[in-house]
Amino acid sequence: MYVWIWRRLPGGAPGKLLGCLILLFAVLVLLFKLVFPWAEKRLPFNDVTVDPTTRTTSTPAPSASPTP
Amino acid sequence: MTDLVIESPAGAGHRGEGWRTAARGIGQLLITLGVLILLFVVYELWGTGFYTQAQQHKLETTIQQQWRGGSAPDVSTLPVDNVPLGTGIAVLFVPRLGQHYHFVVVEGTGYSDLQRGPGHYPGTAMPGQVGNFAVAGHRTTYQHPFKDIANLRRGDYIVLETKEHWFTYRIEDIPGANGTTVPWKEIVAPTDVQVAYPVPDQPDPAKAPTLKLLTFTSCHPEYSARERYVIHAMLVADDVKPQLPRALTTKPRS
Repeated sequence: MYVWIWRRLPGGAPGKLLGCLILLFAVLVLLFKLVFPWAEKRLPFNDVTVDPTTRTTSTPAPSASPTP
Repeated sequence: MTDLVIESPAGAGHRGEGWRTAARGIGQLLITLGVLILLFVVYELWGTGFYTQAQQHKLETTIQQQWRGGSAPDVSTLPVDNVPLGTGIAVLFVPRLGQHYHFVVVEGTGYSDLQRGPGHYPGTAMPGQVGNFAVAGHRTTYQHPFKDIANLRRGDYIVLETKEHWFTYRIEDIPGANGTTVPWKEIVAPTDVQVAYPVPDQPDPAKAPTLKLLTFTSCHPEYSARERYVIHAMLVADDVKPQLPRALTTKPRS
């Protein structure tokens, strides 16, 4: 996979290196801005509230608050 | 760069080339997945803090402006269901957790509220009111306001700053319903909502409270969501500004 990308990048060794860095940066931005926040909401370890419903969705309804 | 040589046309056609390509592909895929998971851990434990830091800065600026603005009443006089979700309601100080420890408490315990700071359970009492001012906070992510919640001890002070007051709560056992006692520290199931009731740990949520309480909830064990770590405290002082609370001017007992 990485060999395939390396071969298709233009501009000789320096150009390829620059291309790699740009691609790496783009991937990191995509991960940190979109993929990780999306994945986080589907994982349970950020649950800190007491809640009568076992929480599986990202945002509990206001009615799920523990007060009468 | 040896990869380039191996995959060059000169090497094509050799026996086992297909296997080698497949093995290399799988190897690269597994390494990539490993790096992805490591990056996700970095994001959770460290990256999320930047968001909270920026949000806390905004909340702090807004709340200070409101307090100086004059027209808005102190939150301790507001009815509990009259505060918009997502707004800052008080500033939290816990001397045991550090001299500079302070967070703006946000109204609401929804996902996006807790990303911005410790969140007040909607409908529970406001600071200084009769009932239970219940707050949830992250322990490992989003600047982890309750990271060191397990360091809190009986007798420690928790201070809430509002527009006109400093409310000082002390961590201690709480008289519960029917002569029972609610321990200052509890580890409960995630569904045990009674800990945040106006009178904690009693079956009837409608029972009229008489005490001014504060409750913290966070996840337990750390990095898990299996249980909840709970701390209870009782109001011991109400200092009207500009009087400063003793809990903040004296060092915590060691």
